Amino acid sequence: MQTNPLFERTVSALLAGEIICEYSHDELYNYLLTQPVQQKVSDFLQQMNRTLRQTSSHDAWLCSYQDLSRSDAKDGVRQQFREVANHLEALVQFLRLVMMVEAAQRPISAGEHLREGKLLERISTAPSLEAKLRSLCEKDLFRTKRSDSAGQLRVVLENLTKAGYLKPIGTSGSVFLATAKWSWLYDVMTFIQTHEGIREDSAEDDPQLRIV
Amino acid sequence: MARTHDAQSTLRALATYGDAILEAHLNRGNRIALNDDNVGVLETLEHHRLVWRLGDTEDLQLKNVLVRLLDHITESERRRFASAQVDRLWSDLNRLFVDYREAKKRAAFTDKLRIESEIKECLSEIIEDIRNATDTFSSYISSGFSYITDMDLRIRKNHEVIERAGQLNALFESFNTQDLADQAGNDPFLKRLLLKYLPAALEQGQKNLSYALNQLRLTLVRLREDQRLSKLVGGFESYFANNRGYIPSIDDMDLGHCPAPLNKVTPFAIIARGDIYDPTDDEDLIALAQTARTLGADQQGTEPAAALQTVEFDVAGASDPEEEDPVDELIEQLVQFVVDGDIGDGEIDALEALSGSGLALDAATWLSTLEAQIDSLAPNDQSQITVEYKSQLNPLYKDNLCITGMTLRRSNESRI
Repeated sequence: MQTNPLFERTVSALLAGEIICEYSHDELYNYLLTQPVQQKVSDFLQQMNRTLRQTSSHDAWLCSYQDLSRSDAKDGVRQQFREVANHLEALVQFLRLVMMVEAAQRPISAGEHLREGKLLERISTAPSLEAKLRSLCEKDLFRTKRSDSAGQLRVVLENLTKAGYLKPIGTSGSVFLATAKWSWLYDVMTFIQTHEGIREDSAEDDPQLRIV
Repeated sequence: MARTHDAQSTLRALATYGDAILEAHLNRGNRIALNDDNVGVLETLEHHRLVWRLGDTEDLQLKNVLVRLLDHITESERRRFASAQVDRLWSDLNRLFVDYREAKKRAAFTDKLRIESEIKECLSEIIEDIRNATDTFSSYISSGFSYITDMDLRIRKNHEVIERAGQLNALFESFNTQDLADQAGNDPFLKRLLLKYLPAALEQGQKNLSYALNQLRLTLVRLREDQRLSKLVGGFESYFANNRGYIPSIDDMDLGHCPAPLNKVTPFAIIARGDIYDPTDDEDLIALAQTARTLGADQQGTEPAAALQTVEFDVAGASDPEEEDPVDELIEQLVQFVVDGDIGDGEIDALEALSGSGLALDAATWLSTLEAQIDSLAPNDQSQITVEYKSQLNPLYKDNLCITGMTLRRSNESRI
């Protein structure tokens, strides 16, 4: 039987828990565009109590458990949730920092470019943003002993790249592309918001954002 | 020369007071209020005979010559309200149709020719307005309303433009083919205009408009999603700020019906080894093995140790503080917390404590370290803590238990 390298890479990435989007794995994402391929991958995964799923914004694929009545599947879901929950505060702080730096009205979305130089330039000219970056680097996900903004920002961007939220592009190594893992994070956050009854923020509550 | 100079001076005055003049034309019915702020503009326009008024206390009105020029140059503004413009022109055209039939009936050929020309001009204006009106929406689509920075205002503007496009669409639909045919009757001139040129322009306009409406609706959906996400992030930021150390948990959930966003698998490693039992793979494996051996055995570990440059002697009485092991520290805190802390039933889950600490330690090492530390406590201290093990049978060796978790509880005897 002939091997299919794209199928192998797609299934391996999904089983490894990676989130496939056009920015993180363009080749695999394109491979998954057609319905017969999706069915083939899904059929394969179903034999391992797993299935193919999309994020609510339909911009990424991921692997889910098919039958959650088994205790190992439940433990797996809990473990994955804990990994996000433990770092959620740091991720939210990062999103807010970028919104303030870019003076944007919405958080990062898949396909958006982050330029280290531009971020650093704006952060280093505003002491309040520098303080936010410093506070960010005290969180486990971005912990560093670096005291300069450039070093701190580099650690933050590198760790987000390792975690699959960003992908470096170009040869400079200072331009990053946001992946659709953010879309998955927003799905999880929406669930937590409903489950824990966290109130939505209203624009009027945030004069700081407007000032910046 | 003097005449040229005057004209240039008038044009300069129009440029200087352009904002005030446009404001008067677009929003104040061509009137300029008589107040201290407008003294300069009023004096200049009066000097150039571009305004008029009847009484001294009345507001000044822009003269018709200027109004006509403004009408012409603010065409873009007219496009915004194209539905009203087309509607007005259509009413004019209907009046011309009546005049045209009357002139034809009376055999007034000169008048008929004049009205024909007026009808042609009016209809060409309608067709031009239809084209312009639909073109306007494409500029909104390409900009995505990004020139408005506030998200709420951007959404409101998008709504407004959709509403305007809807009005225009309703107007297009009001041009019924049967009505147009009735209007044209058997007159070849009217038939050519009403059943050929106008329907073609309407069809093109409607096609562009439905595309624009679709794009505007998509933009609106995207803007609303952006707004939702912005509020979501803001809400979490406030919540974290007001609830220090908050970590969301799903431990209370059964997960029998797991919400889709949470259902994500743990990494499943696919490990494959070379098949040493299949002779057909031998050559490939040999080549691999040869390239894998990059360092000769005799070369390993023969590097001489780097010579020490300086030797530092201890100063009498000096001491180097030993770094605290974070795991030991955590266990110590945990035990102290179980014994002294006010934690409901006086119990705590070891794995939860680990995940809350942020330490990068696997569960097995953590549980065995915790057990060893509790075992090494003084008997008095140890008696204050009861440890409950969560376990499951090993699927292969049925008499073995695998420990999957520990719950530390304050002993009943030690409770006050």
